[in-house]
Amino acid sequence: MTGPWSPEAAVACGIDWLVREIAPAGGLGRAARKRERPFAPGDESAARERLALVAALAERAGTGRLGHLRAAIASIPDPSAILVRARGGDVLADVDFFELGRFLDGLATVHAETRDAAFADIAPPQPDDALLRALAPGRPGHGFYVADAFDARLARARGDGAAKRAAFDAARSRLAARVRAAGIADREGGEFVVMRDAAPNPLPPELRVVREAPTYVVCELALDATARGALAALEDADAAVARAEEDVREMLSAETARAAPELERACAALGDLDSLVARAAFCARFACVVPDIDDGAFELIDARFPPLAEALAERNRPYVPISLALGGVAVVTGANMGGKTAALRTLGFAAACVALGVPVPAARARIPLFDEIVWLGVGAEAASGEESALLSAFGAELVALRSFLDGASGRALVLIDEFARTTAPREGRALLVALLETLRARGDVALAATHLSAVASAAGVDHYTIGRVRSLPPVTEPLALAAALERIGSAMDFALVRADDARATASDAIELAGALGLDAAFVARAEDVLRTSPE
Amino acid sequence: MADDVAREIVALARACGKRSIAVVGTSKNAGKTVVTSALAHALGSDGVRYGLCSIGRDGEAFDALEGGAKPRFALRPGATIATAAALVPRTPALEIYAMTDERSALGRIVLARVRAPGEFEIAGPPSAEALRRIAIALGESTDFTLVDGAVDRLAAVRGDDAIVVAVGAHAAPTPERAVDDAAALVAKLRLPLARAGDAALRIDGALTAAAAADLVRSGETRAVVVRDATHVAFGGKTYLTLAARLDLRCERALHPVACTVAPFSWARAFEPRAFARSVAARTGLPVFDVYAGTVARPAA
Repeated sequence: MTGPWSPEAAVACGIDWLVREIAPAGGLGRAARKRERPFAPGDESAARERLALVAALAERAGTGRLGHLRAAIASIPDPSAILVRARGGDVLADVDFFELGRFLDGLATVHAETRDAAFADIAPPQPDDALLRALAPGRPGHGFYVADAFDARLARARGDGAAKRAAFDAARSRLAARVRAAGIADREGGEFVVMRDAAPNPLPPELRVVREAPTYVVCELALDATARGALAALEDADAAVARAEEDVREMLSAETARAAPELERACAALGDLDSLVARAAFCARFACVVPDIDDGAFELIDARFPPLAEALAERNRPYVPISLALGGVAVVTGANMGGKTAALRTLGFAAACVALGVPVPAARARIPLFDEIVWLGVGAEAASGEESALLSAFGAELVALRSFLDGASGRALVLIDEFARTTAPREGRALLVALLETLRARGDVALAATHLSAVASAAGVDHYTIGRVRSLPPVTEPLALAAALERIGSAMDFALVRADDARATASDAIELAGALGLDAAFVARAEDVLRTSPE
Repeated sequence: MADDVAREIVALARACGKRSIAVVGTSKNAGKTVVTSALAHALGSDGVRYGLCSIGRDGEAFDALEGGAKPRFALRPGATIATAAALVPRTPALEIYAMTDERSALGRIVLARVRAPGEFEIAGPPSAEALRRIAIALGESTDFTLVDGAVDRLAAVRGDDAIVVAVGAHAAPTPERAVDDAAALVAKLRLPLARAGDAALRIDGALTAAAAADLVRSGETRAVVVRDATHVAFGGKTYLTLAARLDLRCERALHPVACTVAPFSWARAFEPRAFARSVAARTGLPVFDVYAGTVARPAA
């Protein structure tokens, strides 16, 4: 699903992941999803209504029931193409009636499971009773067959056909018996070989030679007048069966065409339900809340970034939710590995949730709608397209920035990760300050993660800090990477708090280098250099 | 081919505990469809509920090259087939009972029961893995399964199948060449099992002719172990030559039980009895003549 986010934001903020997680279970849901468009500024009322509906469904139905319903919906085929053909006057095929039967069965199942208050106003309609009744003779189980029970004429034609086939088989058997009596083994139709040294001479008249070889002849049975007459009668009978079968299909196709408008409404309702249930299942699974939606601040309380939270949970490592209030443009600084990028991602993810009509994984949230969600800095190099291979990392960042600023319109959420980190720090800082001032002047909401010093005060924007190494006692021997990461995680304070620019340079980089297993002498030398370096 | 000959092939399969037969050919037009039809007829005559599936039509490039339709099977009630949705005939009507998730160029594969005698086109999925899944699905509702394989889709064969190798005059210029091809294919299908404790080089995926030749050149003395014979991606004389110089083994045995011969085609004809005897002598398997209704047995 496309949305108002850049491809880089979709990857960095887990929006692609979110879109996959809320993918509908069935084909009808996927068709419905194509008709949807993300909420944008001006859609606040509709977004509130959709988010409340999803959250209410999640709460009333619960994870187990939603999962069960998704499985039921997933098994329902999309009959749209069949309905179009029926309305166009086509005589449908047996596979079409089989699929219609599966659709009606699935619709009946979902209708039965959504008759209570939890699904008020969103349950699909009952299946078309008249079409169900019309198909019933061919569906004693869950399959489909143009059964005799559809039409007495069909039953008679098939009875006549069976009699004619028996007569033809008997005529052929008489011929085969005469061949057998001449000393040639019986064959079931088709061509067969008769060895010359074992064959009577001449061959019996019931055999026709298809091919001659020095030691054998290839033969087939030659039908006599009686057998040919029986074959002609059989072909007439088969033609009568074919006509009678087609009459049944014409009747069922006409009934399908009559029911098509109602079935198409049912398709749309099932598709919408599938799309809603997918969102509700996500909401229930991640304990999401309905955010307040207004034009004001972006505020998150204990917000989670599920892709990261799940990855850490798989490794039995803790995840710390973040809380922040973003009035406009702000800077976040802090230790390496302290969660700056995760904070940016959490913001982008939450904004995308609202745009997609999905409640937000947080304890509480207030989120505006955006025309754009943009990611700049680390990870945005690809935005420069094919030219990126020809550009340095810094050049690619600037191309991506220019692309955003040239094309920007409306309100954007701009997430900036270590912008200008690969150029001289003094000039990089100047560029970042200029960027933040520009965004503030445009009225965008932005958060910039950086190690550059005193950016917030220079740009006149809020300053947060996240990630501080509390204490990392020395280890006696190198740790494996997983153990080292766990130790760093335990020692890190991931709280995001307001700060002043004095904290901006506290990256704890050398201490973390040691914790990640770099040679002790190497780390000690780095500390010496740091102590003796000018500020 | 007479029912009694087909019954004997079914009995050979049952004797090694199998309830499915895969028919594979040494070449195009080797008589696979005639053999499969005969097996189907014999099973039906004996009241056995059987399923029939085939590799997809788009899996056989030669059909597309020749522009010919895949041969039809004459079937009677009692048969269950897997075929592409587009090939389900309007008459005689089939009873469709399942729509699988497998797809072919002609639509999804449906499972259907034959309710009236007729001729049916059977075309399954183009991939061997999907054909295996189809065969398993058919086996769930029938007592015996027939798989009409393809010359270039040996991977469709399962360890659960008894294998019948169809050898035809059509593709080989001489009887000797046809016999060589049959001997190579059967030898490959009879790849011996790896022995526990032996030094072994295990091959992930398929062993190609180039890789095998490299092993020969490097003087490999360990057992070269593939998953099963379907993971050896070369055949014919190349197989016989390389296999003679390597200790080729497998982790999963396959079960060839018989050969069949089609001694004539529009292109050429071989003397039927001598041809069958030669194939039996080189493969060590009983050889059934598809058209003469006779059998040549290997020397004891």
